[in-house]
Amino acid sequence: MKRGAWLPALVLVLAGAGATLLAGANPLNAAVELLRGALGGPQPLAETLVQTASLLFPALAVAFALRAGFFNIGADGQAVAGGLAAGLAGAAWPGAGTAALLAALAAGTLAGGAWGALAGALRGRFGGSEVIATLMLNVLAGLLASYLLGGPLRAPGATGPETAALPESAWLPVLLPDSRLTLALPLALALAVALQFVLTRTVYGFELRAAGKAPEVARRAGVDLGSLAFGTLTLSGAIAGLGGATIVTGILHRFDPALSPGYGFIGIAVALVGGLEPLGVVLAAFAFAILQSGSLTMQAFAHVPKDVVALLEGLAILTLASRRALVARAPAR
Amino acid sequence: MEFALEVRDLVKTYAGGVRALDGVGLGVRRGEIHALCGENGAGKTTLAAIAAGRLRASGGSVERAGTAGFVPQHRQLVERMRAWENVVLGREPRRGARLDAAAARERVRALSAAYGLPVDPDARIETLDAGAQQRVEILRELAREPALLILDEPTAALAPAESAALFATLRALAARGVASLIVTHDLNDVAAHAERITVLRAGRVVARFEGGTDVRAIARAMVGGAVPALADRVPRATAPCFEIRGLVAGDGAGAVRGLDLDVRAGEIVGVAGVEGNGQRALADAVAGVLRYRGTQRLDGAELAPGDPAARIAAGIRTIPRDRQREGLVLDWSLSENLALGDQRRAPLRRGLGLDRRAARERARAVVERFDVRAPSLDARASALSGGNQQKLLAGRALAETPRLLLACEPTRGIDVGAAALLRSRLIEARNAGVAVLAISLDLDELFEIADRIVVLFRGAAAGEFARDAFERGALGAALAGLDAR
Repeated sequence: MKRGAWLPALVLVLAGAGATLLAGANPLNAAVELLRGALGGPQPLAETLVQTASLLFPALAVAFALRAGFFNIGADGQAVAGGLAAGLAGAAWPGAGTAALLAALAAGTLAGGAWGALAGALRGRFGGSEVIATLMLNVLAGLLASYLLGGPLRAPGATGPETAALPESAWLPVLLPDSRLTLALPLALALAVALQFVLTRTVYGFELRAAGKAPEVARRAGVDLGSLAFGTLTLSGAIAGLGGATIVTGILHRFDPALSPGYGFIGIAVALVGGLEPLGVVLAAFAFAILQSGSLTMQAFAHVPKDVVALLEGLAILTLASRRALVARAPAR
Repeated sequence: MEFALEVRDLVKTYAGGVRALDGVGLGVRRGEIHALCGENGAGKTTLAAIAAGRLRASGGSVERAGTAGFVPQHRQLVERMRAWENVVLGREPRRGARLDAAAARERVRALSAAYGLPVDPDARIETLDAGAQQRVEILRELAREPALLILDEPTAALAPAESAALFATLRALAARGVASLIVTHDLNDVAAHAERITVLRAGRVVARFEGGTDVRAIARAMVGGAVPALADRVPRATAPCFEIRGLVAGDGAGAVRGLDLDVRAGEIVGVAGVEGNGQRALADAVAGVLRYRGTQRLDGAELAPGDPAARIAAGIRTIPRDRQREGLVLDWSLSENLALGDQRRAPLRRGLGLDRRAARERARAVVERFDVRAPSLDARASALSGGNQQKLLAGRALAETPRLLLACEPTRGIDVGAAALLRSRLIEARNAGVAVLAISLDLDELFEIADRIVVLFRGAAAGEFARDAFERGALGAALAGLDAR
């Protein structure tokens, strides 16, 4: 580990303790309750792993695009596009069995990819800002879903913008009985490994990293920055779209426009804390999931408002942003 | 105090145990121009940074008579701000809470006039050429009224006329009692302008000279022996290879306006010219990163404008002019940097994968052949000195034998020994039948390596000289746009 790498973590722990004290509770007690709520037993652990998977898809999507130098802040919109496609495809052929599940996941991946590709085309072809494009497409995805499900694609008897319920054959298999833990987690982990491989071992990954670090150097080395932007934002969107599809097929069992409550934005934090390395992002997603899923127990038993967790998540980004300054001031060994 | 700067027993050890300075003593008298010379990695830049107070020494003492201004090798300016904004940045004149722009402009104008450093206060930095950017940076330092001005490789990016103007400014400063410490490789500058010269090698002072000392004696002290001779030019038949017809590229003062140029396989064509006469546009058009009108043919086949990948595939390799912005991913290892550009071809590419072992083998060969001094193949490019970074880029361009090598300022800002090595490699490439197009502001370099020199003036060829007709007078006239014939 690099000299002083522990400092941001220390700052974070101290800040968390301070916030807990300000809230009038015992920090040690709060930490114990937080961990108990997240890890104390099979069911809490399963719920933490569910959160891990839900965070991991958008976080990997953000990290992958950011390695190429593109800021995809539209993972939520891509998840909605993917979730909608998955909900429609999964319910389209009630008798299709497992094929319906595969169709739902594939449709989600493609739709998310298409949503990312819109931003990619704007950036790659016309040099527009992908930050603005992906942000605006978030709003568009929600509105498009509401329109389609309220009008042309309205499910019989639906009260809100939902698709029809998926047949059970189109559900993601549950790994632990009586929990929501599904195949989504192994899928996300396999994806992380695959992305790590793409980044470190393929020509595409090599060119992508070069463009992310030094676009002018990459351009002169024969990398077409326009197609790279298009391809990378498409792939990033596809990852987020697959994430949306796993939430629809694994948790909600129908499409609901609120399927991604800010995962795309927390995903940015997870990606940065994970150092943009897919395997680091896995660890970061697990850490964030612990905070998320333990916060209710902490609130109930240690009387610490769960907003302290949101505070910690924000602080994680702040300490990360100031990491270089912190490390530079760390005492030499 | 007699000295503007006095350092004693200076030691600097970097993390990782590299000892850059090992007991250095140096005194710069008030109002003198003092040159600090040495090869890459001798410790010059470290010493300059410590003297300027930008880096902490591990041991020894530094005494300054007043503040020291520092003009680093690579510009440190806010590109999107105006010249006057850069000069007053951090010490803005105020009226209440507001920035007093009128007073700031006036101050910059007064400084500019007082020191004979012409600068348009309202020009944006990104629109200025290298010489003007440097003047802005010098003005910024002079605004602090320093007793000493430290300049790291100040002439590396300058045309000859701009260098002369710079030294005139330094002499004027000296007359007012402001001393200068110049870190440089350019021994001709040193011999002509410095009053005293200190030579560093491997972190120690190995020689001190008075101004006017023979350049060769200084060079010997720097390299610790004779300067290595260049590779022999093997007489050989040349063949048509690369041709440019009616090239029009770029815009503004630095555009190329209707250039015809041939580079034959087995010859080095040097492009000379005062900076800003179209060199950059020519280089970018040949590298494929700038759109152009006209034609370029390689071995008879027309090249498409604006497609660097196709040019690399056709066998064109480039040593870019700006090694840090255009050449290297500074965060990456040597071996990754050496794979750049050839990542789409065997042996580095295998299917969709990048063969990391092949990349390492290639890196090992380049590092050996080009004498790149680095702790390991995994060291970051940013950890290398400028000369070793340049060797890396030349080694990458010549890792396999290209059809056409475009070499832009191949030895700018690097020491005598490294420059001799790179020039030898260019000559060897020529001997092996490579067509070499060398664009350089350094006439001496072109005299050493080129078979022909084409003078670029306002974007067109203003004269062509064969090797047996190289002559400073005629070339100088062509450089200035006077009719040479």
